[in-house]
Amino acid sequence: MTDRVCVGAIAGSFGVKGEVRLKSFCAIPEDIATYGALASEDGKTTWDVKITRSVKNGFAARLTGVSNKEAADGLRGTRLYVARAKLPDLDEDEFYHADLIGMTVFDTGGTELGRVKAVLNHGASDLLEIAVKGARQPTLLPFTQATVPTVDLKSGRIVADPPDGLFD
Amino acid sequence: MGRSVWKGPFVDSYVLKKAEASRESGRNEVIKIWSRRSTILPQFVGLTFGVYNGQKHIPVNVSEDMIGQKFGEYAPTRTYYGHAADKKAKRK
Repeated sequence: MTDRVCVGAIAGSFGVKGEVRLKSFCAIPEDIATYGALASEDGKTTWDVKITRSVKNGFAARLTGVSNKEAADGLRGTRLYVARAKLPDLDEDEFYHADLIGMTVFDTGGTELGRVKAVLNHGASDLLEIAVKGARQPTLLPFTQATVPTVDLKSGRIVADPPDGLFD
Repeated sequence: MGRSVWKGPFVDSYVLKKAEASRESGRNEVIKIWSRRSTILPQFVGLTFGVYNGQKHIPVNVSEDMIGQKFGEYAPTRTYYGHAADKKAKRK
């Protein structure tokens, strides 16, 4: 499990009064301002974010300590992180993508199948993209109770019961 | 323009045969199909199809609310990963 999650990035300055153009990666874009202070990639700098308006491809926002256009321009490309612990708790069968990515997948016999590379959803159900050792292409596993009976976040293990032929 | 009702929904015949065979066998398997143009019928609910997207077969678990759509709608031909951020996955 990662301890910090990237929730957005600064795309540059907005206007001449020190506002920044903010790109949100959150499921609900406005949520980026609800997680409290956002940190830089190295964790040394933090900013409180206040969204001032919605603009094309993001938001205009004010960051604490950024008062002029030059300072805002200097932050261009900065990724914004929030502590994983600040994300709200979920129901029993809901998981954050950030938690699932990187977990090791085992079959019901205990054989390692691979690692979760990404979580996709094309409209039917969520899919785990699993990077299988020695395989050129990743395998997609439906994220359902039947195919993924166990998700152990603490030990980073997923037990899968894949349909026949999926990992051949 | 929509399809005439008297014709019924279009399904490639091999998809029907494969689905029927899978249901009769009762095995938990992915039914590999290449027919993205076939309509999802009520008898497909509960089965898992591997719909070809030009590169690989995307597993599609058929549920009731997918009836009447085409298989191709659930297997995009381009993939965009994006950022995980606070996105959630639900185990159904």
